[in-house]
Amino acid sequence: MADTEAPEPTAARRPRHPGLRVLGAGAPALLLVAVSLWEIVAVARSARRAPAPADWSALSAELHRRHHSGELVVFAPAWIDPIGRREVGDLIPIEMAGRMDAARYAVAWEVSQGGARAGETEGARRTWSQDFGRLTLSRWERTPADVATDFVAAFPAAKMTGGAAQVSLEEVGFEPHRCVRAVPRPDGTIDVSYPAVELGRELVGYVGLADVFTRRDIRDPGELAVAIDGSEVARVRAGVDDGWVRFAVKTTPAPAARVVFTARAVGKNARDRRVCFAAEARR
Amino acid sequence: MKHWPPGPVARRRLTAAALGLSAFIAVVVAQEDVGVARDEVVYISSGAKYAHWWIDLVSFQSGTLSEKGITASFGGPRATDNNREHPPLMKTLFGFSRILFADKLGWASEVTASRLPNAAMFALLIVMVFWFASAFWGYGAGLIAAVLTLLLPRGFFHAGLATFDSPIVTLWFATLYSYHRALASRRWCIALAVSFGLSLATKHNAVMLPAVVVPHYLWVVWRRTRPTARIPLGERLAGFAVGIGKVRPLVFAGLAAGPIVLIAVWPWLWFDTFQHIGDWISFHTHHVNYHFEYLGTDYDHPPFPWHVVFVTTLFTVPTATLVAAAIGAAHLATRARHGASADGDRAPALLLFLSAAVAMGVFLLPSTPIFGAEKHWAPAIPSFCVAGGVGVWAAATRLIRTMASFRWFGPIPARFARAGAAAALGALVATAALTETAAAHPYALSHYSALAGGPAGGADLGMNRQFWGVSARGVLPFVSRFAPDPGEPPVPVYSHDASPAWGLYRKLGLLPDGMPDAGPETSGIAKSKIALVIHEKHFARHDYLIWKSYGTVQPAYVLTVGGVPIVSVYVRSDLLQKRHNRVLQAQPE
Repeated sequence: MADTEAPEPTAARRPRHPGLRVLGAGAPALLLVAVSLWEIVAVARSARRAPAPADWSALSAELHRRHHSGELVVFAPAWIDPIGRREVGDLIPIEMAGRMDAARYAVAWEVSQGGARAGETEGARRTWSQDFGRLTLSRWERTPADVATDFVAAFPAAKMTGGAAQVSLEEVGFEPHRCVRAVPRPDGTIDVSYPAVELGRELVGYVGLADVFTRRDIRDPGELAVAIDGSEVARVRAGVDDGWVRFAVKTTPAPAARVVFTARAVGKNARDRRVCFAAEARR
Repeated sequence: MKHWPPGPVARRRLTAAALGLSAFIAVVVAQEDVGVARDEVVYISSGAKYAHWWIDLVSFQSGTLSEKGITASFGGPRATDNNREHPPLMKTLFGFSRILFADKLGWASEVTASRLPNAAMFALLIVMVFWFASAFWGYGAGLIAAVLTLLLPRGFFHAGLATFDSPIVTLWFATLYSYHRALASRRWCIALAVSFGLSLATKHNAVMLPAVVVPHYLWVVWRRTRPTARIPLGERLAGFAVGIGKVRPLVFAGLAAGPIVLIAVWPWLWFDTFQHIGDWISFHTHHVNYHFEYLGTDYDHPPFPWHVVFVTTLFTVPTATLVAAAIGAAHLATRARHGASADGDRAPALLLFLSAAVAMGVFLLPSTPIFGAEKHWAPAIPSFCVAGGVGVWAAATRLIRTMASFRWFGPIPARFARAGAAAALGALVATAALTETAAAHPYALSHYSALAGGPAGGADLGMNRQFWGVSARGVLPFVSRFAPDPGEPPVPVYSHDASPAWGLYRKLGLLPDGMPDAGPETSGIAKSKIALVIHEKHFARHDYLIWKSYGTVQPAYVLTVGGVPIVSVYVRSDLLQKRHNRVLQAQPE
């Protein structure tokens, strides 16, 4: 039996002005009208939030005109990355896409949608910008890191003990990173030794666990220790949810130092820990 | 016409029939645009096996009933052999439908025919929601509730797939409806047993149904045994205990009989019954954790944040529907507080509340494996829609009653004014829901409501992009443009998460000859000429594997929804060069 004919349980006190009372009684209905109208309009507008193909084409043409080899291209928000790569992916070599970080790039081109900012442009100064509909193309400049040794590029000169390692493009923390990948036995280590490399004033590196599925199935962390001429200068742990973990140590400039990276799978159950690292000695 | 206008009973029946028919047709038409979900492929092929087994049984084929014969169709030594980890009801119906409508009559494709039972089940849900809500809160509230149930972007999407997430909503609701009728009529206990059993035979979350029914029953007993005068607590409890056995104890028999129905329709349980039931339950309590992105974090291990259920519901159910539900819930709570509930002795509103609480509540437990999407607590959503129907009606009633008290309508009877206002308000709320549902089609898994900011807002918030590989269908027109000419070697495609569906796409004529699936992972990519990546956070690695093999980070085509990338297509440079003109001539949307 329907209950809608039953009297309202709240016998209200009648305000003096009927209009006010009707307004009060009509509040839920007005709310529904307002929300419904807003939703109808918002859905229609959300379809127009996307940049038009013509905007992408115009931006692409402009970027191709202005871009010079070796200049970084980044996208913000990060989720537009596949569309951005479709338009200007020819300007992004795989090494750039799998970079360790953005410090070595003097110029970064930021393709931004809806005013979003890419983390790579933090601390840089904008030298040029143009809007293309909802897209903005900006040129950012910064003083680049002066790299004395790129330990990924120098890998062919490295020697391994305890197991193999290789340079590879890997997924670490859901991002692409070109890195030295070592897979030590559980509780074991692999040393990657660089017998004579140039050091600057700082050694900056990153470490993380590659491969989303092994991270899910095996929860033990990996670890990376760094020793310079026999002295440990850094020890960094990378857990399954830590992503690409940065470390930095001050160093004394030297023309031919011995640097050893020791990758470790932490724990007796730490199977298939794909410890990936990249590092740069910066002047 | 002699019988026009129809009386209230005939009007309800006609409305129910119209709603059911509309829902069925809408789902069948809409599913034509929807890609094939990874899981569907398994269910469709298992279902055909199950159906053939039943046909063999009734045609007395020898060996059908043997342990070996049953195992060959329904089981096997491994946990997922013949999809034995999921009960068979819907799969069997998919199979019968496919045999009849695709294989025998040729009226529909294999995929559409397999999806018809779910469309019918969804239509049944819409009918039941209308019937239940209109019985207690009036025709108008029931009608609006049914329409809001029909216009749920995700619910409508799942109704068009040959999976279990939509039919379990129907059978969950049917179980509660039967139970509620059983409180008034003993005969409905049989329907309770059947519907509960069929729920169990559809999806494992049906095991939670007693957690809805039993507390509700106890409340009903508590109310019905309330004394007219103050009595000591001991006496009150004694009366209550006696009442449990008196009010409708057959309800417990109905629940107890449910598993018998389950066993009856699942031949795999006809031997080693306890072992096989144990395997089934254990598979889901120890389920592999899926990857699921929520607010920017990829969850692959419990616990899921407790708020996942609420935030995801907030962003996937139309906002106007939720606001209407909130008004309706407030209205029902107010009436309950004043003892003015509809059919207070059978407490229908409490039943809907418990249904939502149990269906969603299990996902608040820290030990629940990461299953992911909102489809897992979908049985809760009709409760929201019924509350929404009540909310719209109550809002209109409140306004019109107040206006009528000042005689603002002159000679127009208030009930007409109320009906008009409710119809207008209901139409507006339904239009909002329709807008969301239409915008979501056919990529509803990537759609988020206006409250989230649409698909782009969902991406900004880091909500899950999609799952099941359904959206791959959207790139097939582009992929097809690279088909080899006669006499040319095949063009293998790394189809990523759409790999299980690739053969069906070929059968449906959505892929030309000579474009086989290249195989899985690295070896498949190496063999391929074209490679797909279906974007989910944890699938990023597939992009990188392709970059390495193809030597470029540049996809040739990106399918988007609301500006959000959902599938990328990479093409090897030699093929891209060769087909350049053909691709340029007809760029797909």
